[in-house]
Amino acid sequence: MAVIQVAHIQKRFGNKDALSDVSFSIPKGEIFGFLGPSGAGKTTLIKILTAQLSPTNGQASVFNQPSEMMYQPAQKMRFGILTDNSGLYERLTVEENLELYRLLYELPKTSIDKVLQFVNLSGERKKKVTRLSKGMRQRVLLACAIIHEPELLFLDEPTSALDPVNSAHIYKGLRYLNEKGTTIFLTTHDMTEAELMCNRVAILHQGEIQAIGTPRELKKQHRENVIGVDLVNGEAYELPINGETADRIADWMKRGLIDRVETKEPSLGDIFIKMTGSELL
Amino acid sequence: MRISFKRVRAIFVKDYKEFSRNYAVSIMLILPIVLALLIRGVDSSLPLAAVAGTFATVLNLSFVMLTCFAQACLIAEEKERNTLRSLMMTPATTLDVLVGKSSLVFVMSAVVLVITTYIFGYEPANLGALVVVVALSLILYIATGTICGLFSRTLLDASLSILPVAFVFTGAPWGVFLADDYPIFRALDYVPSSQLVHLIGLSDTGYTTGDLLKPLVITFIWTVVLTIVSVVLYQRRLKDE
Repeated sequence: MAVIQVAHIQKRFGNKDALSDVSFSIPKGEIFGFLGPSGAGKTTLIKILTAQLSPTNGQASVFNQPSEMMYQPAQKMRFGILTDNSGLYERLTVEENLELYRLLYELPKTSIDKVLQFVNLSGERKKKVTRLSKGMRQRVLLACAIIHEPELLFLDEPTSALDPVNSAHIYKGLRYLNEKGTTIFLTTHDMTEAELMCNRVAILHQGEIQAIGTPRELKKQHRENVIGVDLVNGEAYELPINGETADRIADWMKRGLIDRVETKEPSLGDIFIKMTGSELL
Repeated sequence: MRISFKRVRAIFVKDYKEFSRNYAVSIMLILPIVLALLIRGVDSSLPLAAVAGTFATVLNLSFVMLTCFAQACLIAEEKERNTLRSLMMTPATTLDVLVGKSSLVFVMSAVVLVITTYIFGYEPANLGALVVVVALSLILYIATGTICGLFSRTLLDASLSILPVAFVFTGAPWGVFLADDYPIFRALDYVPSSQLVHLIGLSDTGYTTGDLLKPLVITFIWTVVLTIVSVVLYQRRLKDE
């Protein structure tokens, strides 16, 4: 069953198309990555899916209902959202911020302990937000977005500007949430993050989807059918993948001549650049 | 549109905690009380009739400097820190958020104005009418504060945005005095602050039902119009179209 279905969505601001003819669907339980450079239209799509914007053309549905219905409180109970426009109450403590969300979602008191453990911030609950590091703030924002254990989670560049340790905390939490059944819609311009987290990705450029599939499928589609071999004497070869190459490599191996063997598989970033001719911003 | 009192209460409590730690704004709570103490301290033997006009001015000033200013700051700060957008992504509806945020300012202003009235020792000709007109004025100035906050990007903007409100609303009762020379200033008599002055100026012995109803009806119309404008603007300003 598809949690999100998008058909021929177009969004026009003035004379410019932020999105043009975008279509895809996301089944329940998937982590779907929406990749693209800044200004590609990723945030615009999240806004359409969460009823903050109306599309110019096309249809979008979430939980089998038109996305325009997502403004209703009953629907908002089903999804969580973390964007770069999310904010915290600076004069309140971590716990007081979460208490507000607990009451708005009508949850039991235990939900605060649970979510604080989840984002690894139990020890900081009495700290004022002003005293938190950027990484900790981002984790509090994530806690606010998932305190109600949503069926669907929208994440707009959740780890941008975070150090690898804080990013790893967030990835770990998201994977755990996904294992419990939460579908995750993740936008990012970090291709490593997408490769690490996503079951499927779509590459967006100038408002259009250029490619869609699992990272493995995309790499397979765009890989060069050659294998790289570095010998201990410094020679390097790029050989076609066939039986003759296999025999040749086996011979080198028997003679102890091989230093390194590598497949010439592109990264998602390489694929993006190849498909769009653009550097990631 | 539905309203959830649980959510309204949650927003009220959150705002109370934030407000009580925001000394730059919460200091305004003492302004009407200090004014009342100063004015009554100058000559407490003055007859009440003589201080009625001053009392009305203090009330009008308090509506702008406390009610309107606090509401504008609360809304502008939420906008500046993106928390208003986050709130709108929770099950809280527009009404939950607006009523929750407004009720704190309403309660605080009401308590402060009761204390101010007590210090003045003012006894109204008709207590019921005064209570109604003050309650309507509080809603009206909260709506005005909401509008100012929505048009402000920062707290500083919000502080400046109430200046035109202060000029028009607090100045209206004085501007009416110029109506003989400049007839256009007669319109200022229909501003709620001028109507409050009329109501407070009624004497115990001689007033008609019309004298009582006119300020109530005019203030009511202002309240309804500004409340509708603030709700519509709130919904529009938070949409990204």
